[in-house]
Amino acid sequence: MDWGKVQFFLGEVYANFTRNAAMQLTAIGTVAVTIVMLGTFLYVRETLSSFGQGILKQIEIAVYLDDAVNDDQAKSLAATLAADPRVAAARYVPRAEGLREMRQRLGTDFDTSLLTANPLPNAFRVQLRNADDVPAVAATIAKMPGVAKVDFAADTVTKLLRAADVVGRVGLGMIALLVLTAAIIIANTIRLTVFARRREIAIMQLVGATGTYIRMPFIAEGIIAGVAGAVVAIAVLAIGETQLVPKIAATLQFIPFHVNELQLAGELLLVGAAVGFLASWFSVGRYLRA
Amino acid sequence: MIELRGVTLTYPNGTRALDNIDLEIGKAEFVFLVGHSGTGKSSLLKLLYREAIPDAGEVIVDAIRVDKLRRGKVAALRRNIGVVFQDFKLLTHKTVWENVAFALQVTGARSKDVMRQVPRALDLVGLSHKSRMLPGELSGGEQQRAAIARALVNNPKILLCDEPTGNLDPSNTTEIIELLQRINLKGTTVLVATHNQAVVDRMRRRVVRLENGRILHDDERGYYFRGLGQSPVLSG
Repeated sequence: MDWGKVQFFLGEVYANFTRNAAMQLTAIGTVAVTIVMLGTFLYVRETLSSFGQGILKQIEIAVYLDDAVNDDQAKSLAATLAADPRVAAARYVPRAEGLREMRQRLGTDFDTSLLTANPLPNAFRVQLRNADDVPAVAATIAKMPGVAKVDFAADTVTKLLRAADVVGRVGLGMIALLVLTAAIIIANTIRLTVFARRREIAIMQLVGATGTYIRMPFIAEGIIAGVAGAVVAIAVLAIGETQLVPKIAATLQFIPFHVNELQLAGELLLVGAAVGFLASWFSVGRYLRA
Repeated sequence: MIELRGVTLTYPNGTRALDNIDLEIGKAEFVFLVGHSGTGKSSLLKLLYREAIPDAGEVIVDAIRVDKLRRGKVAALRRNIGVVFQDFKLLTHKTVWENVAFALQVTGARSKDVMRQVPRALDLVGLSHKSRMLPGELSGGEQQRAAIARALVNNPKILLCDEPTGNLDPSNTTEIIELLQRINLKGTTVLVATHNQAVVDRMRRRVVRLENGRILHDDERGYYFRGLGQSPVLSG
């Protein structure tokens, strides 16, 4: 390792950086804001998607049978259901068990001893392998003999998820615009540095520095700006998470918060570095043709 | 060492800077390139370090076809050619030492080589005692010597000087020309573009005279104007 060379290179990068300190801070700030938005978006998206997936997994089709249906008929219906490849499981719930389950679920909220008779019909609880099949399977079951009523919530949930997907796309589009803005600001900053250092660059070209060598400090400058922005953003997000998530989790207990923060931070750092690298690469490439 | 064959160079605005130039300069020669401003002296030098590319003809430097050189190879060519300008082109915020070292550092030289070659170059131009000063603290002649040290620190085979004494008074001019001569004696090919008639006439070296982009005359041990008798009353 030639420390003299390293020292010289770092000196050049430092000189670049300090030439336009104010502009550089603007670039870092823009990157930070962009990445805070991106990080928040990714965090919320991951949470909502695991929430949605969790619900979808639990979705069942409740199949209520005619009171006239006897146990044998119910069993043959069970066999038909089990033969369907889309069905993961079909459980027969006799009315007595249904009532027990209901008592358990409602607990003390509702005094079931008030009931003089069991109001529930015999039923099947059908779980599917894929939530997308719920409407089609439900329609098929509804036409089967002995079926009084078919009930499922998947339709609402899939609609919600689809809406969330559209919102997500729009959000991602806006974030892409923000990333572009940050890239343009970095590119502009680098261009200003190139202009401020045009005498050095002219001399480097004159004495035979390679194009790559001349570009390196500027590329490094761009990457540093991008990474610095990302670090600021990650700090803001970390503070935000420790302050906000426990409060939200306390109110909305049904939402699972298990985002892999380390991986997310790594991804955001990469985004910052990539934006800085690409922006400076294009900026310097245009202005430093040897 | 340097060879031009049928070289023509036209500026983007259509002006013909050089018109069918043939010129050959041998190893370790000392050549004055003379003529009025705008006769193509600087353009000719630019062709040699590939700051300009001719429309027609061949430019050969140290057995390399410079006019056909790919962009990626230009850096290697320039490490073999030192260039000195009228306005020195020193970095004002760097010391003399740093200015000279810069030329080595940006070509990726090892710091060991930097430590060895910079003092040698400064010693050659006689600026060792002022190596820690900034260009602004030096006289014009000293600044030009620093620029020459920078041009030579890579040990190039060729030294190109574009009006090196244009900003200097007569005593500094003499000093610089004598320095260039010493460098030439060490085996470096030196090509000096100038319109300083006094210097050229006193030195009696090879003189190539350009006019309107053509070579008007090319004399061994020549004068600024061919033959003293044709010398006009005004001298530059």
